[in-house]
Amino acid sequence: MTGRVRFALLTALLVVGLTSPALAQKPVKIGVLTPLSPPGDAAAGQFIVRGAKMGADDVNARGGVLGGRKIELVIEDDSGTPEKGSAGFRKLASQDQAVAVVGQFHSSVMTAVQALAEEFKVPVFSTQASARQITERHLTYTFRTHVIDPDRCQMWTRWVKERGFKRAALITENTDYGVGLVDETKKAFASMYPGAELKTIIFDRAVVDLTPQLLEIKSWKPDVLLNGGIGTPMYLIIKQAYDIGLHPAVPMLISYDAPSRPEYWKTLGEKGTWASFIVYYHPTMRLTARGEAFRKKYMAEFKEDPIYGALNGYAQVTLLADALNAAKSDKSDDLVKALLANKFEGWNGTISFSRGEGPYWQQWTPPMLVTQYTRTEMPFTDVKIVYPTELKTGDWMPAKR
Amino acid sequence: MDAVLLSQYVLSGVVIGVIYSLMALGITFIYSIMKMINWGMGEFYMIGSYVQYALIVSLFGPRQWYLALPLAMAAVFVLGLVIQRWLLRPMFVGGIERRDEYATVITIALMVLFRNLAIVLGGPNQYAPPDYARPTTLVTLPISGNRFVALISTLVLLGLFYLIIKWTWVGRALRGAAQNRVGIQTAGIDVLRLDMLAFGIGVALAAAAGALLAPDFLVYPENGAISTFKGFEIIVIGGLGSILGSIVGGLLLGVIEALGSVFVSAAYKDLYGFLLLIALLVFRPTGLFGERERSV
Repeated sequence: MTGRVRFALLTALLVVGLTSPALAQKPVKIGVLTPLSPPGDAAAGQFIVRGAKMGADDVNARGGVLGGRKIELVIEDDSGTPEKGSAGFRKLASQDQAVAVVGQFHSSVMTAVQALAEEFKVPVFSTQASARQITERHLTYTFRTHVIDPDRCQMWTRWVKERGFKRAALITENTDYGVGLVDETKKAFASMYPGAELKTIIFDRAVVDLTPQLLEIKSWKPDVLLNGGIGTPMYLIIKQAYDIGLHPAVPMLISYDAPSRPEYWKTLGEKGTWASFIVYYHPTMRLTARGEAFRKKYMAEFKEDPIYGALNGYAQVTLLADALNAAKSDKSDDLVKALLANKFEGWNGTISFSRGEGPYWQQWTPPMLVTQYTRTEMPFTDVKIVYPTELKTGDWMPAKR
Repeated sequence: MDAVLLSQYVLSGVVIGVIYSLMALGITFIYSIMKMINWGMGEFYMIGSYVQYALIVSLFGPRQWYLALPLAMAAVFVLGLVIQRWLLRPMFVGGIERRDEYATVITIALMVLFRNLAIVLGGPNQYAPPDYARPTTLVTLPISGNRFVALISTLVLLGLFYLIIKWTWVGRALRGAAQNRVGIQTAGIDVLRLDMLAFGIGVALAAAAGALLAPDFLVYPENGAISTFKGFEIIVIGGLGSILGSIVGGLLLGVIEALGSVFVSAAYKDLYGFLLLIALLVFRPTGLFGERERSV
């Protein structure tokens, strides 16, 4: 083959390659900004990334979006700190040109990056950040598919009331989430359970020795302890409460679903037994066809049941793909319009965003359930739903002495 | 206020203060000999906790924590020797003019390196070795068995340290180096070798704190940050370079934080130590047991 013929062939291949739609079209980038290192809840971030990656793979296997463009995820670590979150969001919005950002877990970080979302006009999704003010600010580019704290606090107040506990102590961290929990729980107790007493303690998130605070709570003789720690502080509260004889003699309710993760028993051993905790997903729940397909694929790949963060990360990427197709554009304003105008298949129901009052703005809320571990090393799949009453699969049990 | 409860707060502060003083002792010991601050001290604490966890989980089991502890300390001691030999010794033999800046840059770089290595090798999640002992009661204070073990072990380590420094030939040489680095060389002592030893011992003390507190305060890449922070506070309160100061400073800080967090607010626990530190800087800038530096 002469050099001239070879050159002509290469040129022809290049022309064909560049004009072929699959190769010529740029991928659509979606940012995943989530905690992947301490002091953030890095385990949560890892599950969110797992789900988001599987969502992008599913969309791409179905042919991508906007007539064949692939979804490309750009993953950034926010370390659970507003400053790293802000830097990560700026990079995703300006350098990577992400059309939307999902994966937000810590309320303090979400609160910082949502201002940047307005500035850059890039929609940002809370995957597990629940502070009230996030959606209460009524910002154009902020969306959430997770519970909000007023609902969480009303729910645990109802649970406390149903159990007949008269004295509840809440210990939580000095973050937007923790401070929000205290405010909302005080409101909920005042309006829904006025006869009960509530003691609240807010500690510095960096502190590792919580013994004096837990001794104070123990001497107050509560009927129930509400654990508002996130990540490492949640574990420290359980361990140290056990060591001073507070838990499990006094029942504990953990504010979120971290105990459903495999690391729970590795970190706590027998100290984790008898803890009750709020979850948003339970293996016995009926899922949508999309959710069920995800669960099967996840179990095949990771040999364990999915965690809520993974389900939500997956759902956010797939709903963004649907919204891009509905908008027929990757422009942010078109995307926001499509998100507001359409309904999307989530993991356990249809997701839609409306501009309601207060925190119910561009907000979709999954179910909330109270579950309980009643034996050491109990698999999450065996855990019974103990509240709300209409969804109960078992009874709540006090610790055996 | 119930007297029992008050005694519990004070005791919990004393216990944690004694354990933190181990960290402060490491910082102040390195400073005394090498005249440098090791900003990466928390990372040696972190490495100590990881080594202890690995040894207990894979080799010894929780009942033989006392076998894992000296090994964790020895591993970090050797790491300290290597770091001192290859990264810090050039400070004294390489004709470096700004030694303080050199030490600051090196130790901060090590801090970042070790923290990220921990994330790469162990992942960002926390681990906890099984408990060393069952929960117990110390006078009026219900206390975790781990913390009781940590308290006793810290007291033993402090005693051993005192004996070595006070009564052995190496201890006398180290004290000599702390007083006058040039003078001790005229007595034929290799001060660079003493530097290596001092750095190794200092970081091994931090590793001991990390190993002892691993079941209670967990093992994760940033777990050394808070104890380093406390260590620096303690040495300023007690007096930079003073061994007694690091113990008394630790006790004071522990008790003040415990009482402040209960009687004022737990949200500002770190503030109370800083208030004490500021008061000392105003009224006694050398700290409780520090001495004014003499220059000739």
